[in-house]
Order: sequence, then structure tokens, then C-alpha cells
Amino acid sequence: MSYIKLDQNKCKSCYLCIDVCPHKLLKKSSHIGSTGELTVEFSDTENKCIGCAQCAIVCPEIAIVEVNR
Amino acid sequence: MDEKVLLKGNIAIAKAALNCGCSCYFGYPITPQTDIGEYLSLEMQKKNLAYVCAESEIGAINMALGAASSGEKVMTSSSSCAVALMQEALSYASSDELPIVLVNVMRAGPGQGYIYPSQGDYNQATIGGGNGDYKTIVLSPSSVQECIDLTYKSFYLAQKYKNPTILLVDGLLGQMAEPAIITKNPYPDIDNSSWILDGAKNRPSRNIHSLEPDQNKLNQHILKLYQKYQQIEKNEPVWEEYLCEDADIILTAFGTMARSIKAVCNHFRKTRIKMGVFRPVTLYPFPYKRLRELSVKARYFIDIEMNMGQMLKDIRLGVLSNAQISFIGKPVGDWLRKEEIISAVNNIIKEQYASI
Amino acid sequence: MQVYSIPKSIKKDSKFTFCKGCDHGVAIKIIAEIIDELNLKENTIAISSSGCSVLLYNFLDVDCLEAPHGRACAVATGVKRAHRAKGQDKFVFTYQGDGDFASIGLGESMHSALRGENITAICINNTNYGMTGGQMGPTSTMGQLTTTSPLGRNKEYHGFPIKTAEQIALCEGTQFSARVALYDVKNILKAKKIIKKAFECQLKGGGFSFVEILSSCPTNWKLSPQDSHKKIEEELTKIYPLEIFKDTTND
Repeated sequence: MSYIKLDQNKCKSCYLCIDVCPHKLLKKSSHIGSTGELTVEFSDTENKCIGCAQCAIVCPEIAIVEVNR
Repeated sequence: MDEKVLLKGNIAIAKAALNCGCSCYFGYPITPQTDIGEYLSLEMQKKNLAYVCAESEIGAINMALGAASSGEKVMTSSSSCAVALMQEALSYASSDELPIVLVNVMRAGPGQGYIYPSQGDYNQATIGGGNGDYKTIVLSPSSVQECIDLTYKSFYLAQKYKNPTILLVDGLLGQMAEPAIITKNPYPDIDNSSWILDGAKNRPSRNIHSLEPDQNKLNQHILKLYQKYQQIEKNEPVWEEYLCEDADIILTAFGTMARSIKAVCNHFRKTRIKMGVFRPVTLYPFPYKRLRELSVKARYFIDIEMNMGQMLKDIRLGVLSNAQISFIGKPVGDWLRKEEIISAVNNIIKEQYASI
Repeated sequence: MQVYSIPKSIKKDSKFTFCKGCDHGVAIKIIAEIIDELNLKENTIAISSSGCSVLLYNFLDVDCLEAPHGRACAVATGVKRAHRAKGQDKFVFTYQGDGDFASIGLGESMHSALRGENITAICINNTNYGMTGGQMGPTSTMGQLTTTSPLGRNKEYHGFPIKTAEQIALCEGTQFSARVALYDVKNILKAKKIIKKAFECQLKGGGFSFVEILSSCPTNWKLSPQDSHKKIEEELTKIYPLEIFKDTTND
């Protein structure tokens, strides 16, 4: 089962990761981050994450701290 | 080693730099200092040391800044209008606390001026043209022997205080040959293992920077630098005195100018005027304290420079209102001769110090 | 199995202080990954510069020296040569913006390339002066609106921009010169490969290696991070093509 760990304190809400996730597992959370916008959260109820790490690759904030496959 | 040899000031500086382990030199040609770089180019290449004919003085001093971070002994040399180009990096190196030895063999200014003798860079060296609260140590030789001795001292003080140090040399002295002894470097090496950048192996990474967005930290940094400057001002002033103990009139000068005024002093001593000579060797730290002590007894000071009175303000700061101060100067050209100075001093004595 | 983690050469608990969506973060991350992969952390001295790129030393866990504005390649030259005088070979690279590398520091940059100085220079090209608020820089494109070209860059009035990687490739001492971009996953991975190659050039000791990175500046471009990347892909890569302009590593 693949999953990622995301540090919401680092997220600046650029949403670049949302765009690249092939299974749309990243979405806006209800948490307001440092830029005054909603940060991103990872939600994978159906175990769809394939651990491709594209989200981590595009994240300019190293907010995605782990990808496990 | 103790034999006297005939040496030009510039070559003496280059030889002394090599003698005390200078392994990095970066420079750009400008008269009257070019023979320092010319001499070192061959000697350093033979020893596989770092020598770069830089693209500009800005390039040269920044290469020196980088090299200094390695803990190696680093020198660059230049002259007046080109030292002006180096002021930015001197400010950075002062804030970064990087030991760089900069030799300025002075020519005449302002602007391009010409290669005539002049002492016009006293202000540039002691006050500095870079931004912010910083100081550079400034040493001023008056003979080829002192070119050697003070080159050693420049490297030592730069390393000891982690501060840029300027050797301020009259163009006349750089180009003049006289007998001197190539002594051994008398100073110990300073352990710099606690701050140099040589790769973060078996220790946390280090960084050297002057940017500080936190105003409290920036304040603390400058206060720390000033504590260091206070130590320098306490420990390092050096001066030369000649017949000052009982003097009524004290002539002041720096660099080569101090040599001709000793002869002037001897002349007046023969006419029973009690005259002495005071020469700061360190222009920063300036020997204010000793000057003040002397000003309690001496009644008159005559400052003589090959410029329009740049050290004069430091003489005034030392003497305060304890004694009268006059100035004899000439901005550029043939060095003031003994006879010219004697006649100028006589005029001052007649006009202002009638009581003597 | 963990397939991705924060590079070891990024300082612990680093939080990048760049603007939202700025590519500086991605650039520093891949540089850190390469430093890890080539095992260079203990032998590296990085030279940061002025502008947004100065902040490198806050994030990268290697010895780092800040250069005065534009002088990074001269400072790197001094660092490299001084260690060589000690008989040591250190890995030395600069991290500069386009204003730093190609405008105020063009003399120092180009002469380091001409000498074939064995260092690597990384230049973040975001076509404006970012830290000061988006003024026209040496790489601002024709027609680009900036705070100092409010009617758009114009060849008669403002003159032409510089194509840095192409210019550096012309220098005899340059061993490797390339331009990369970071606007999508594919390009980030490609950029990493190319920067790694530039680093390896230095390790082999052949001369000057240079990588220009087309980067976004969403704040000053007044575009979203997504639209900034679109601008790079659709506009900037037409003007600044992504190519390896010189590679003599196998000669």
C-alpha cells in the first residue's frame, strides 16, 4: 500500500501537486496555511496511491516529506 | 639571510609575502605596483600556488575573498583608483571577518590622476569607501626594510583579527631601491580550524555571509565587530618617535615623508629649537593616546603630508586643543624637499609661533 | 518501502522562504539530491549570491560562502584555487540569479568560463529582478512588462536580452553549457540529470560547467504557479530553448 506524508506547515498552497497526482488524491484541506489559503491534504480511502512521487518532485516547498510504495 | 641586499619596495613586499606563506595572489596590472604581481607570477607558478591574472580589480579582490575563506594566506595588490574598485569587497570581507592583505602602492588622484608620487589615499584606507560600520587595519611603511617587516605584520594581524589589512605604500617607496635585510617572518601562524570553509566533514556545515534579515542579529554582529576593533585600538597602535620627549614643536608625517622630516628636525635642533618627529606606523589603529600625551608638553604640531591634509584630522583628534596645529602639504609631484620644508616651517614659526 | 524522502543535504527542519510556487525550491531540492547521490556533502563549498538565490545557505547543509552581488564566479575561483594550493580538490559551485550572473556579474562569470575555471555555475533565470520586486533584467524578454519596462521591453528603447547559456557555450574554457526548465515532472527529472552531468564535469576536472534554469516568478509575473509554468512552457522555451549547447566531456 503506497502513501505519502505531507507537512502542512510547509505547504504554501501552490497546488502544483494537486495537478500532477494521477489519481487526484491530493485536495485542498480545511486548514489555512502561511499564505492565508487552504493547504493541501492527502486522502486515499481506496488505496489508489501508486507511490509515483510526482507530487514530491514538483513540490517547491519540500512539504511532501515522504513517499512510500 | 641576514645579509643586506639592494631591493625595491615592491619586490620586498612580494618576497616577504612568499616568505610568510602567502599561497594565493590575485591581481590586475596598474602602475606603480605591477612589479609585485610580475614577481609573484613566476615564483607562485613554480610552487604550484594560486595565482590568477584577474579580469579586473573587482575580480581580484573577490577571488581573494573566496580564497581567504579557505584559511590560506591571501594577498592582492593594486593602486589608488583601482583600490577604489575594491571597496565593496572590503566591506563584505570585514563583515565576513575574512583575512585579506591588500597592498595599495599609491599614485596620484583623484580619478585616474597619474603615476606621480602622492599620499592621497590616507582617507580611502583609514576611513574606507565601503558601506556600513567597518574598519580595516592600515599599516604604513617608510623604508624598504619596513616593507618587509610590515608585510609580515599585515598577514599576522589579518589572521589574528580575521580582518582585511591594508599595507599603504607610497608609490615612491614601491619603486625605490635601498638596502634591506630579508628577515624571517617573526610571527606565529594563527589556528583557523574553527571557522574556515573546507567541507563539512565530521562537523556541522558552516556558512559565511553578511546578509542578516534579523535586525537584532545584525546589531549584535556589528557590536561584536566593534568589540574586536576596540581590542585592535587597545593592542595594536604602533608609532615612531624621534626626539619628542623634550620637544616644543613636533612634526608629524606618515610613510616616506617621515624620513625627510627627520633631517628637518636635525636642522632645527642645531638652531636650538626643540623639535621632534612623530610618525604613526599604524594609521588604523591611529596612535591617538601617545599623541595626546605628547601634546600636553609640546606646544606646536606641524603636520606634513603629500596630500591636502588627510591625516591632519587624526592629528587634531589626538592633540585636541592642547596645542596649536599647522599643516604643510602638497597634493602631488616631486616629494617635498628638506629645504622646502625648512622654509615652510620657518614661515610658520615666524608667523604663528612668535614666542619660540 | 520509502521511495522518496527529503534529501540529506537539506538542513533539518528547513522551511523554504521563497514565494508561493517559486521554482527556487525545486532547484535547491534537486541540487541537494545530486549532492547526496554523488556523495559530495563533505567536500563541497557552495557560493551564494545576491537576490533570492542568496538564501541558499539557509537550506543547503554544506559549507557556504556568500559572494557580493555578481561576484560569485570570482569568489568561487578563489575558493577552488586556494584549496588546490593546499593540494586539495573541493567541489565548488555557485548559485546565482540571471541578474547576478549575466548582468552585474557578467564580467566575472564570462571570464571564469573563458579561463576554463574548474567550477560549476547554476543560474536561475526568471527573466526579472525578483527580490527587488520585478524590474527589467538582462533576460527580460521583448515585450515583457516589468516595473521598469511598464510599456513592455522594446528593442529600440531598452535593447536586447542575453541568451546566457548560448553565450557561455561560446567560451573556449566552457566544457558544458545547457538550459533546463522545471515546469513539469518530466523537465524536473531532465534538469536533474543535466545538472548532475555539469557537476560530474567538474569532478572530472575539465573546465567550466554551466546550467541555466528557466524558473518561474509567480509573484512578479503576477501569474498563478500553474500559469507561470504554462508561460515557461509555451512562451519562454521558444525564446530560450532547452538544449545542451556545449558538451565536450567525451572529447
